[in-house]
Amino acid sequence: MSRTLLGALIALFGTPVAAEDALLGETLANTCAGCHGTMGVPAVPYIPPLAGLTNEEFIRAMEAYQDGTRQATMMNRIAPAFSDEEIKAMADYFAALPRPDVTRSTIRNRPGN
Amino acid sequence: MKTNRRDFLSILAANVAMTGLASGVRAQTGAAPRVVVIGGGTGGCTAAKYLKIENPNLHVTVVEPNRQIYRCWGSNEVITGHISIDDITETHDALRDRYGIDFIYDRAIAADPVARTFTLAGGDVLSYDRAVVSVGVDFKMDAVEGYDQAAADGPIPHAYKAGEQTLRLKSQIEAMPEGGTMVIVPPPNPYRCPPGPYERASLVAEYFLWANPTGKVLILDLKDKFTKDQPFMLGWNRLYGFNIPMEKMSGMPADVRTYDTPGRIEWVSGSNGGRVVSMDPGNMELTIEAGETIRADVINYIPPQRANTFAFDMDLTDGDWCPIDAETMESTRHPGIHLIGDMTIAGAMPKSGYSANTQAKIAAAQIARLLSGETLIEPTWSNACFSRVSNQYGVSIADQYRLDRENNTIVKTPGAGGISSLNATHQVNRMEAFYQAAWMENFEADVFE
Repeated sequence: MSRTLLGALIALFGTPVAAEDALLGETLANTCAGCHGTMGVPAVPYIPPLAGLTNEEFIRAMEAYQDGTRQATMMNRIAPAFSDEEIKAMADYFAALPRPDVTRSTIRNRPGN
Repeated sequence: MKTNRRDFLSILAANVAMTGLASGVRAQTGAAPRVVVIGGGTGGCTAAKYLKIENPNLHVTVVEPNRQIYRCWGSNEVITGHISIDDITETHDALRDRYGIDFIYDRAIAADPVARTFTLAGGDVLSYDRAVVSVGVDFKMDAVEGYDQAAADGPIPHAYKAGEQTLRLKSQIEAMPEGGTMVIVPPPNPYRCPPGPYERASLVAEYFLWANPTGKVLILDLKDKFTKDQPFMLGWNRLYGFNIPMEKMSGMPADVRTYDTPGRIEWVSGSNGGRVVSMDPGNMELTIEAGETIRADVINYIPPQRANTFAFDMDLTDGDWCPIDAETMESTRHPGIHLIGDMTIAGAMPKSGYSANTQAKIAAAQIARLLSGETLIEPTWSNACFSRVSNQYGVSIADQYRLDRENNTIVKTPGAGGISSLNATHQVNRMEAFYQAAWMENFEADVFE
């Protein structure tokens, strides 16, 4: 990769996180993508984007799903699967991605139709 | 430094689509390693896409017989008319245009795992450095006396590979006489989409509410339990007059009712003689282990399954399915060929589209590292699956999976995962139906866009 391109990416996404951390974060985050979208960017926002969440936002949400202070349909079952270290790694991965603007609102077979 | 570079490439992959930088990136390196993906369905498409996200320099070619494919997830909603066949029809255009993946519309007929080549029906020979095979399942057509391929092609569609089969079952259900009976015969484990037959029963029962109010769905099962069976049965009790068997009552909430007459769904378990022992397609009759012969207006017999015939032809199977090295998803029979999706023996993971999708991502990540000589990742997988009990009532299962290195298998992460709570409020059931619809959009994009 050219230095210019590398420079541009650092400018866009900030200083790279520790390599090991990023690797683990990316692997774990890919398991979220089937619902939350590729690299945390969904097609429709009802299952919300994870890309661009701050570390604090992501960690706070996952901890609240773990201890039940935040009630969801599925996330209370998923969040307990991860250690603090893994949640931090995912948080770093998503925080390094730009926050998307997901505006598409059409979904097929919306309940009630 | 190397790892940093790849992290940036991962981020870059999303951007090449938007900025058209792909050719510039590719020019940075010499000969691109070649990865051939056999199968352009859920697993194969995800693998091809994530290979390019891992490393845009890879030369990725997908071999698939059909320019348009019909995804199975969502096909139950086609049967009952909630969506159309067009909604489950997918092309490979986005993957080709946005990620630079090559598609060859042909059928692989031979593999040479030593020379690392595939021969296609059209005569082409493709060489690869690493390959992914994701060709799904085929059916065992001779498991029940009286049933055969002619029955499947005629009066008794399985509708368990989407497309023409789906539409034939749909028109049969629509043409059912008032007060008729549809029989669903789920297959023995393991099979693709474990909740599929039961979601189908649910949605057909819902369709009957207005289209055929005295119509009935009878499930003749050889099993005593199935995935999400309690949440399904609770929903059936609330919506379709289903009487929950005593052995499924543990943990059920107080609003469960008992109906004097059987409702729109009935389930005969294996222990109660539900196994179908023979069929007469000409007279639309089934005989079950309990001894009874039942006449039905629609029979949806879903045959037992095994890995796709292609996997047998390629010597990738051991028994009915394909053994893999769990860490890399590489065939234990032929190195260099990675196997994902319904055809594999993937430990505790169910044969679902979501499983195939996360398996594809692990295969892609490991292939990229095997080709570059970098350290393998510690793999993790997941499965998340929503089912519609009705248009407005959803249930789900979610699990996270890890590598059990010692036993070379994939295990559930303990202390997490599981099915929807039986104590879920009406609002949560409704939200799960809504999330099912939203998931369908986002999952489709993760696989095909």
